[in-house]
Amino acid sequence: MRDFNELKTNIFNEAKEAGIEDVEIYYSQGRDLNIKVFEKEIDGYKLAEAEGLALRGKYDGEMGYSYTEKVDDTSVKFLVENLIENAKNIDREDKEEIFEGAKEYKKVNNFNNSLEKVEETEKINFVKNLEKEALELDDRIKSIQDCVYGDGFSETIISNTKGLNIKDKSNLAYTYVGVVAKEGEEIQSGFAYKVTNDFSELNYKDIAKEAVDEAISMLGAKSIKSGKYSIILRNNASADILEAFTSIFSAERVQKNLSLLKDKLQQKIASEKITLIDDPFMEKGYASSAFDSEGVPTKEKNIIENGVLNTYLHNLKTALKDGIESTGNASRSSYKSSIGISPTNMYIKPGDKKLDDLIREAEEGLIITDVQGLHAGLNPISGDFSLSAQGFLIKKGKIKDPVNQITISGNFLDMLGDVEEVGADLRFGLPSSAYIGSPSLRIKSLDIAGE
Amino acid sequence: MINKKIIENVIEAALSTGGDFAEVFIEDKKGIGINMISGKTENIMSGRDFGIGIRIFKDFNSVYAYTNKSDEETLIQTAKKASKALLGSNDIKDIVINNIKHENKHIIEINPTEIPTKKKIEAMKRAYISAKEFDELISQVTVNYQDYNQKIAVANSDGLYVEDERTRGRIAIGAVATKNGEMQSGGSAPGAHKGFELIEDLDIEWHGREASRIAKTMVNAEYSPSGKMPVIIHNGFGGVIFHEACGHGLEATSVAKGNSVFADKINQQVASKIVTAVDDGTLKNEWGSSNIDDEGNPTQKNILIENGILKGYMIDKLNGRRMKMEATGSSRRQSYKYSPTSRMTNTYIANGESKFEDIIANTEKGLFAKYMGGGSVNPATGEFNFAVMEGYLVENGVVKKPVRGATLIGKGSDILKKIDMVGDNLSFGQGMCGSSSGSVPANVGQPTIRVSEITVGGRE
Repeated sequence: MRDFNELKTNIFNEAKEAGIEDVEIYYSQGRDLNIKVFEKEIDGYKLAEAEGLALRGKYDGEMGYSYTEKVDDTSVKFLVENLIENAKNIDREDKEEIFEGAKEYKKVNNFNNSLEKVEETEKINFVKNLEKEALELDDRIKSIQDCVYGDGFSETIISNTKGLNIKDKSNLAYTYVGVVAKEGEEIQSGFAYKVTNDFSELNYKDIAKEAVDEAISMLGAKSIKSGKYSIILRNNASADILEAFTSIFSAERVQKNLSLLKDKLQQKIASEKITLIDDPFMEKGYASSAFDSEGVPTKEKNIIENGVLNTYLHNLKTALKDGIESTGNASRSSYKSSIGISPTNMYIKPGDKKLDDLIREAEEGLIITDVQGLHAGLNPISGDFSLSAQGFLIKKGKIKDPVNQITISGNFLDMLGDVEEVGADLRFGLPSSAYIGSPSLRIKSLDIAGE
Repeated sequence: MINKKIIENVIEAALSTGGDFAEVFIEDKKGIGINMISGKTENIMSGRDFGIGIRIFKDFNSVYAYTNKSDEETLIQTAKKASKALLGSNDIKDIVINNIKHENKHIIEINPTEIPTKKKIEAMKRAYISAKEFDELISQVTVNYQDYNQKIAVANSDGLYVEDERTRGRIAIGAVATKNGEMQSGGSAPGAHKGFELIEDLDIEWHGREASRIAKTMVNAEYSPSGKMPVIIHNGFGGVIFHEACGHGLEATSVAKGNSVFADKINQQVASKIVTAVDDGTLKNEWGSSNIDDEGNPTQKNILIENGILKGYMIDKLNGRRMKMEATGSSRRQSYKYSPTSRMTNTYIANGESKFEDIIANTEKGLFAKYMGGGSVNPATGEFNFAVMEGYLVENGVVKKPVRGATLIGKGSDILKKIDMVGDNLSFGQGMCGSSSGSVPANVGQPTIRVSEITVGGRE
C-alpha cells in the first residue's frame, strides 16, 4: 500500500503541475481462479493477478480520462498527457463533476472471508463431482460441454483531490455445467449455474440435476404452429430479457433521445402487477455497494411502482441536467470505461403465486424456459424483440410436450403491459456490473413463429 | 519486449513440475475510443493494456496464468504457481529461444497513435452530418471510433520467439429514425487491419447515409411475416449466417471433444454442392487478419468446405493434440487475459455462379435479408438465431415492401444443405466475435445466397 500511496501522490502532483484542476484515481486489483474439468481431469486451469488504474480529471473545464495496466511511476506522464489530450477534445454541453464524497456511507459487505480459505483441493473435488454426477444421472447424457468452477476477489479504490477516498472489496464463486443429451439422432443441451460467495452453498447434485433435467426434458421437442399464444415466461427467461433492456432506464439514454421511456415519467408503462426495484443493499446481491462509481451514496428505489414509471437511473451529470439528485447509479464496468449508468441489484418484485399455480391458471398456452439471441434479436431502442426460444406446451393447466425451433416476438413495453400475474419465484441471472432478477411472468399473449 | 534470458528462465520455471510445453505471451497495446452523440464528443478514453500470459501443457491439460508485472521475480513466481496445478516429476529443462522473423503482410501507412485526436473527431463529425442530414425522420446519430496498436511476442519451449504488431481501426455509425413516437435504428461499422489510411480512404459520408437509410426504411416498415420460407441473404455482413451457423462448429474448441455436429465428418458431404467455405487469416489488411496467430504460428488460408465436402477445421495447438491434427494458424485471444483457442479470422462462402438479379428473379415468394444484425449459436445442437436488420418481402421475383423485426432460426447443418443459389458478388463485413478466448475482430463474408427454407420469426 505504501507504494500505491506514493504513486498516487506522484500522479496528483504531476497532474496539478500540468494544469489539471480536480483529479481522481480509480484503481482496481484482483485475483481470479478458473478450473475446468473434462473426463475426470483438470483440462483447464487459469490463475490471474491483475490490476489497472484510470485517471479522470478536469482540464480547461472538460473531463479527460486515461488508463494503464502498467501501474508504476513510468506511466504517470502517459496518464497525464492522455488525459489532457482527451479533455481538450471534449465538446459536449453537459458538465461532468468530480464528487467530494459524502459524510456517511451505509455498511455493505460483499466480501466473505471464508471463501478465501477454501482449499484448492476442495474446489477441484467439487468440479470433478459435478461432472461425474451430471454424466451418471441419465444414460442419455453423452457428453459434458463445460464443467467449471471459478472464484475471484477484487478491490476498488476511488480517491480524488477533492477529498473522496473510498474502498470496496468483494469476492464471488461461480460454477456452471453444460450437458449434451442424445437419443437416436437427436441432440439437446442443458445448462445450469450457481453464483455465491459462500462455498458451502454450492451443491453439485442440485446443479447437475438442473442441467440434466433441462436437456432430457427437451428430448422429442418439436416446433409448433405460428400464431399468438398465451405465455408464461419462466423466471430465468424473464430475467434475461429484462437484463437486455436495462439501458432503457438510463437517464443518459433518455436525455440523448435513445430510450423508449423518454417523456414517460409518472406514466403507466406496465401492468399494475409490475414493481421494479433497484436495491443496492440487498443481502447476497452481487452488485451491492454503499457507493457508486462516482463515490455517491447509493439508494434503494422503485423504478416502476405498480406499473407507473417513477424514476430514471442517474449519475451526477444526468441528475444535474434534470435538476435533481443523483440516484447513485454511476457505473464503470472497469477502469477502461468512462462513467456511465447502470442499475445495482434490479428485480421485478415477486408476487405470491407458485409457478405451478401460474401454469394451472393459464390452462392452455406455452411456457418459455429459455431464450437465445439476446444481443441481436432484441432492439433496446425500439423495444422490439424476436428471440429464439424453447419451452413446453401447456395443456389443461399442465406442462406437456417440449417445444423448440420457435421464436417469440413482441415489444418490451407492450409485454410489460400485458403481464397478468407475477410469480413468487424470483431468480437472478449471472452478475455483471448489475445483477438482474425476475420471477416468472404470465403474459396475455406473444407472437410465436414456428411451422 | 522482455529480455530473452528472462523469458527462457520463465519457461524453464513453468516446466519445473513436468509440463511438456510452455509458452509466454507478451502484450503491449495502446489505443483510443471516442464516443460522439448528436455531433458532440461525449467520452474519450485512451490508455495502455499491458500484461504477460503463461501457458503450460501436459498432454491434453493446460494451465494459464497472467500478470501485469514484467519483472523477472514476479514472472517466475507466476510460472511456478501455475505449474503446481500440474502434478508431475521435477524436471529441469534447458530452454533456448530463437527469434523467427516473418514478413509483414499487412503494411500500415499511417500509425493512428500519432494522429491528433482532433483529426479523428473531424472524420466522426463528417459521419454525423451525412447521417443526420439524410432525412428529417433521423432523430439521433451516434458515432463511435476506435483504433489501436497491439504489439505482441510469443515464445515457447519449442524454441520459438516471434513478434507481431496489429494495428486496427473502426468507425461505427448508428442512426435512429423516429415516426409517430416509434423508433427504429440502422447502422454501418466499417473496420480494417489498417492505420489511419482506413479513415482517409473511406467514403465516410456513404456509410453515414447508409445507416440513416436503413433506420428510415425500417421505421416505415411493417412487421415481418412468420413461418418457413425461402430467404435470400445479401452479400457482406450476411456471411454472419455461415459464421454462426457453421463456423463455430468447425472450431477445434468444439470439434476436439466431440461437441460439434461436424465432428468426424471430414470428407463427408455436409453442404450443398455449390458451397465452398474458407477461413483466411492472411487476407491483406482485412479486419480479422494478422501475420501470426496468438500462439505464434503464421496465419493461413484454410479450406473448410469444398463443393459441399467438409475438408478441414480451424485448429489450435492444444486441441490439435486431442485431434491428432496440425494447428492451422487459427489460435486467437482477446488479450493476455485469455488462454488462446481456435477461432475464426476472415470467414466466407466463396463466389458461385449466379447473378444477384437472377437470384431475386427466381424467387416467387420469400424474404430478402439485405443487412443482417448479429446472431448466436449453440454448438452442441447447431441451433442458431439471427436478427435481420433490414429485410424485404420478395414476391414474384421482385423485391417489394420492407419488413422489420425478422429473426432467422434453424440448424447449421440443415441450412448448409438448403443453400440452392450462390451469387458472384463476394464482399465482407466486420464484426466482433465472442467466445471462450474473449472478443476478437472477425470478418464475415459471402456473395448473395438463397436458402430454400428457413424459419422466419416475425409478428404477423
